[in-house]
Amino acid sequence: MNFSRIFHNLNYVVSALLFLMGLYAVTVKPNIIKKLIGLNIMETSVFLLIVSVGMVDNGVAPIVTEGYRNALEAGRVVNPIPQALILTGIVVAVSTTAVALSLCLRVHEKYGTLNAPEILGRDVL
Amino acid sequence: MRRLLVVAALACLGIMLLYTIGRMPPMNSGSTPDKTHVVPRYLEHGEEEGGAPNIITSVILNYRGYDTMGEVTVIFSALCAVVALLDREKRGRSRSAADISKVKSSVIVRTVVRIAVPVIILFAVYTILHGETSPGGGFQGGAIVGASIILFTLAFGLPESTDRMPLGARIPMESSAMLAFLAMGFLGLAFGVEFLTYALPGIHGQATETIRMLMLMVVEIGIGVAGGIIFISIVFAMIREDRYELQPDIP
Repeated sequence: MNFSRIFHNLNYVVSALLFLMGLYAVTVKPNIIKKLIGLNIMETSVFLLIVSVGMVDNGVAPIVTEGYRNALEAGRVVNPIPQALILTGIVVAVSTTAVALSLCLRVHEKYGTLNAPEILGRDVL
Repeated sequence: MRRLLVVAALACLGIMLLYTIGRMPPMNSGSTPDKTHVVPRYLEHGEEEGGAPNIITSVILNYRGYDTMGEVTVIFSALCAVVALLDREKRGRSRSAADISKVKSSVIVRTVVRIAVPVIILFAVYTILHGETSPGGGFQGGAIVGASIILFTLAFGLPESTDRMPLGARIPMESSAMLAFLAMGFLGLAFGVEFLTYALPGIHGQATETIRMLMLMVVEIGIGVAGGIIFISIVFAMIREDRYELQPDIP
């Protein structure tokens, strides 16, 4: 394992940690709102990973203004594709979260609880 | 016991992830594989091909316009799902928990919100309209509009908000992103170019740039308005409490 590479790619490490934290919440917490928060943390970790892939040292934003050509020749312009992709991803994440919260509201209305084992009537992980 | 099992499984997964990270190309280098294929062309020709100095806007609206159209459909479908699950608020007499509560929001909160909301909306309009030339765009501006109205709703309650954003006015605006995309797409199609080309053939010279800018602007405004209003409608549908019996002694 290349430890210096791991320390250099610190954003990726943080992203992996966030992913594991979210997965822990999704699998262990009995409350479905907390599971949903875990799912959102996992989404955020993926956003961090993909945006970090496009980063450049001393990078400039991919917007054509004065100084853009020089930065382009020096290879210092940030990759626009991950940012466009994540913009799409954030909007989709918000939409799915909205639908999931509505489902939680209906579940609470019907069962009077948000505790997954109580709703299912059996002990789940 | 189960929790220990989960932690052990997560630790294994974490070690695998760390191993992968150790073998990934170094960050921030400028020559990683993601920057070698299509990106140089986008960065070099994005402005003249995509029509916007902000390359990200070019990518979102032009190179990957179909993708963004699908995304706009996703948020519209999310609104449809939320409304199907929860019903819309009733005209003029929906209440939220803030209205039922005996504790009203404080004067400080109300005053600050009343002063801040117009400024936030102004900033949102700036963000939407300058999405081509600076950081920003339809989705970001729409999110800011939605956040400002949600802030207002939390401070002043649902009836005050629905008076200012009536249901009848919101319904046409919710579909404006799809309509703007389809209108601009079919406008090109009607003049004999491909769908979502943002160009009208037969017009040459300087006017081409202007027309493309205007068409991109129409799509951006459509996305901004629809995004904001859809988020507002979702929140209005979620926080209304009149499905339950009104309980006057909620603390």
